Amino acid sequence: MNGHERKMTYRAWSAAVIALLAASGARAAEIVPDEQAFARGAQAWAGQCARCHAMRDPRELRDDQWRAVVTHMRIRGGLTGQQARDILRFLQESN
Amino acid sequence: MRKREANRASWQAIPGALMLGVAVVVPARAQQQAEPGSEVTVEQLDSRLADLERSSGEWRTRDSAFHLAGYADAGYADRSGGDGGFDLASFNPIFHYQYLDRILLEAEFATLVAEDGETEIELEYGTVDVMLNDNVALIAGKFLSPIGYFQQNLHPSWINKLPSVPLGFGHDGAAPATELGVQLRGGFALARDGLWTYAVYVGNGPELEAEDGEIMAVESEGFARDAEGGKVWGGRLSLLPVSGLEIGLSAATGEAAVTSADETMVDGDPARDYDAYGVDVSWKWGKQLDFRGEYVRQSVGAEPASLAPDKAAWRAWYVQAAYAWPETKWELVTRYGQFRAPDEEMELDQAVFGVNYWLTANAVAKTAFEWNDAAAGSPEDGNRWLLQIAYGF
Repeated sequence: MNGHERKMTYRAWSAAVIALLAASGARAAEIVPDEQAFARGAQAWAGQCARCHAMRDPRELRDDQWRAVVTHMRIRGGLTGQQARDILRFLQESN
Repeated sequence: MRKREANRASWQAIPGALMLGVAVVVPARAQQQAEPGSEVTVEQLDSRLADLERSSGEWRTRDSAFHLAGYADAGYADRSGGDGGFDLASFNPIFHYQYLDRILLEAEFATLVAEDGETEIELEYGTVDVMLNDNVALIAGKFLSPIGYFQQNLHPSWINKLPSVPLGFGHDGAAPATELGVQLRGGFALARDGLWTYAVYVGNGPELEAEDGEIMAVESEGFARDAEGGKVWGGRLSLLPVSGLEIGLSAATGEAAVTSADETMVDGDPARDYDAYGVDVSWKWGKQLDFRGEYVRQSVGAEPASLAPDKAAWRAWYVQAAYAWPETKWELVTRYGQFRAPDEEMELDQAVFGVNYWLTANAVAKTAFEWNDAAAGSPEDGNRWLLQIAYGF
């Protein structure tokens, strides 16, 4: 396989992955009441946030500020939407 | 003599008298305000309470939210054989605007003081992020390169455990810094707190600098143009099988061209192959130990019709260990790394040992000593003391 063929194969795989992921975007996330969210959020907060930095005190920010920060960290850390919602629930109930 | 003592006693009595006056006057005024004529009715209290509840609840219930984050740092460096100076000062605000749970606009500006005293302001990244679903987010704009880990997740000074960045992982190094394009990224939860994360992107890609007919540097600062017309595709895949362990692989391929030769802009130099790949591992053992290491390589192929026909490669790696002293705010950090480039003057081996004091979780005072081994005569040759204070908000 020469360099050009290798690039075409790589791009074809990339396009397939992108199409698959984008297609899955049609399924909207279901939001249901969840009594375990706080506990899961505390666990995810301890495990995921510490991947990169020291643990920030939930009392540092207001509820609305944590919303934007958690969405930012969801993007940065590759978290799932459910993990982000759980962590947000924990932070908003702990500040 | 007796008169002087009497005067002194009078002066000493003044603070007491003032306090007594305040004590008498304040309650009197408070009592005055509570006169029956000025009492509020239950209806008025209810109205005020409703106003308070409405205003305090606004930031909880509105669809959009705005938040200012960021970090700032200042430092001092003293290189052996030279004069020390306050050489590090930056303020990096990050703006977040969120609409519902669907859209996030975010931008980071790097505000730096250059050696000549000029202020430099750069858009580190600026993106529109759309949450397509729980596992996919679309990122469009100028974003931190997903190749490798340090550049996209560890570069803020309050997160980086040492005052300097690992060799080759800053700007103009071996690791791509930023990219202009579109990206899909997200994650999938696994059993036992495991997680898969991914990022795939397409962007304009880097540009090349040549000198005396040879390629010297690869610039990956997120150009808003595509000099050679060929896009760069790439991404990163990481696995977190258990909490505390992360293994990441990243790669990119595409085309790049020489756009600058001997400090003169070049137009029309032919495109050549561009490739990048990286491996990163991090492991946290309890709350005390933190290990991480990373390798990244960028290369361009030969192009006979180019001003600089030969191929070139840049590669860098580092390993780092940190130990947080139990029950204290002290932390010990050590790092070893290498950077290899076509320009031998840029090549460097480095060992660093640092001591940190964490004032809070987001404020740290760092001191470190660097042992640098570069080509003789290189400005990078020579050991350094570094001091830095960093704050994240």
